[in-house]
Amino acid sequence: MMNPTIELNGLEVQLGGRTILHGLTGVLKSRAIGLLGPNGAGKSTLINTLLGFHAPSKGSVRVLGLDSHANGKELRSLVGYMPENDAFISKMSGVRFVRYMAEVSGLPPEQAMERAHEAFVYVGLGEARYRPVGTYSLGMKQLAKLAQAIAHGPKVLILDEPTNGMDPPARKRLIELIREIREASDICLLLSSHLLRDVEETCDEVLILRNGKIASICDLVEERRANRKFLELETIGAEATFTSTLEGLGCECAVFTNGRIKVVMPDSVEIKEVFKVAADRGVQIRRMNHRRDSLEDIFLNAMEQTGAPDGRI
Amino acid sequence: MAVYKRRYASYLGSVTPERSRFLVLTRYAFTELFASRFFVILLILSLVPCLFFACYIFLANSKTVQMLLPMGPTNLFSVDARYFTIMMIVQTQVAFLLNCWVGPVLIAGDLTNGALPLFLSRPFSRSEYVLGKLSVLALLLSGVTWIPCLFLFGLQAGLARNGWLWSHVWMVVPIVVCSAIWILMLSLLSLAVSAWVKLRIVATGVIFIAFFVPAGLGEMFNSIMGTYWGRLLNFSDMFRLILAQAFREQSASGILGPITWNQIPVPAAWGVLILLCLLSLVVLNARLRAREAVRG
Repeated sequence: MMNPTIELNGLEVQLGGRTILHGLTGVLKSRAIGLLGPNGAGKSTLINTLLGFHAPSKGSVRVLGLDSHANGKELRSLVGYMPENDAFISKMSGVRFVRYMAEVSGLPPEQAMERAHEAFVYVGLGEARYRPVGTYSLGMKQLAKLAQAIAHGPKVLILDEPTNGMDPPARKRLIELIREIREASDICLLLSSHLLRDVEETCDEVLILRNGKIASICDLVEERRANRKFLELETIGAEATFTSTLEGLGCECAVFTNGRIKVVMPDSVEIKEVFKVAADRGVQIRRMNHRRDSLEDIFLNAMEQTGAPDGRI
Repeated sequence: MAVYKRRYASYLGSVTPERSRFLVLTRYAFTELFASRFFVILLILSLVPCLFFACYIFLANSKTVQMLLPMGPTNLFSVDARYFTIMMIVQTQVAFLLNCWVGPVLIAGDLTNGALPLFLSRPFSRSEYVLGKLSVLALLLSGVTWIPCLFLFGLQAGLARNGWLWSHVWMVVPIVVCSAIWILMLSLLSLAVSAWVKLRIVATGVIFIAFFVPAGLGEMFNSIMGTYWGRLLNFSDMFRLILAQAFREQSASGILGPITWNQIPVPAAWGVLILLCLLSLVVLNARLRAREAVRG
């Protein structure tokens, strides 16, 4: 049986006498996991605990079946880590820096050199690889950090706020790279971000933290499959027969003042059928807003609700 | 992940042995060091005193050369324990200067831009990291202390003959052991300073301060209190005390200055040096963390 990607067993972490993570319990099975939460929720602390930088004060966390504390070294040999903050040796050329990191990971010098060049070209910094990392722009430094995280071919890639400080085209390129890496191999991905779009575009499962507790564990694939369509209508002349006809099609309707109606449509009903019913009943549709439940809804919902004892909502 | 394919691929090849992986840090540090012309000049200069010591040995063993001197053949040139004690004192001071230049950059470079978490997120522990950096100084300072001393010892043994080697072979142990003590203390101190102060010039200054300010304070203490115990804060003197005892010096005058054996016991000198090493380890332990602990 395959090990879950991350297994949290009542994980509690204290730093400086303060409890940062409060008994996290949950199992994350997907290959691409997003870690969401507002600032100070404990995302980076959880990542640091996974990497063995902090010892759990209670409970444990396992990554691919390996305990972060007891099997720390073994676990770290599988990991590629891209930290949130600046992490480089400024006087070294980009390719030398990545080669150095690959050698520290255990690659023989020749292979490390080869993989460093490959990683640099792969992330799109081929032309800048001989320049000192200190002279790179912010976006280039992010890519250099990604290069050092993948050069040694890890099985688990941990990315902490990878798109921080990047302009939209650079961000798009980085997200594409992350998706490419995910799809090109059997690598497991843990991406921490406060940008919902980054997580939505790259991950299959989301762990939402709030105040050091699990606010939600959400399977995005399942959620996308079961997602329902919402229509927000502003109408003139809508009577009870309009909503009852829609309900007859399988929709759920909620009527508000000034002709505003919210409609939840099953997958079998198309929008054109709503227009048809409106035309038949002589109802004017002045405004229509069509949307699906997004990660933002899931996130906001998790932020508003109190977590259940097991952390699930 | 071949360049032409532009696709990510896992690494399935062989890996280097874990126990020798700290040497990667040493190798990279040496490459960086030898890229600096100033360092190469400094290293060459630090071996210059050895040339003079070698000339002295040659002089001591060559009657022909002695005859060319104004005073003719003489017994003034003797290569004995005192010769090696003095050589050790000179070379350990040279090592101190070399250490002041090399030590401060070893860890600071990694800490300045937060590279430490990258090392520690790999199968690489903090102690291996320190060992890797320590090896740089250990190898470098060995090259100017016990290695040239042993070389000159071998030279003297080769030139003197007449059983000189067997009557002086015991000196190999103090040469190696005392150098090791000095190298360990200097290396740990400069690594601790490097982990604490990021600017090279400031770090170099801090190492000097760590040596000379306590010594000055100790002398002040001696003057005020009318004692010799303030000398404990003079780390160089404490090392000389150990060195003199290890080389079986009967009289400490000339090597230790006004200090005498019974004023500062040798175990106290050992205690001071061990304490300094422990203090450096405490600083390293506090500073070499992948993440700062949140207080309050």
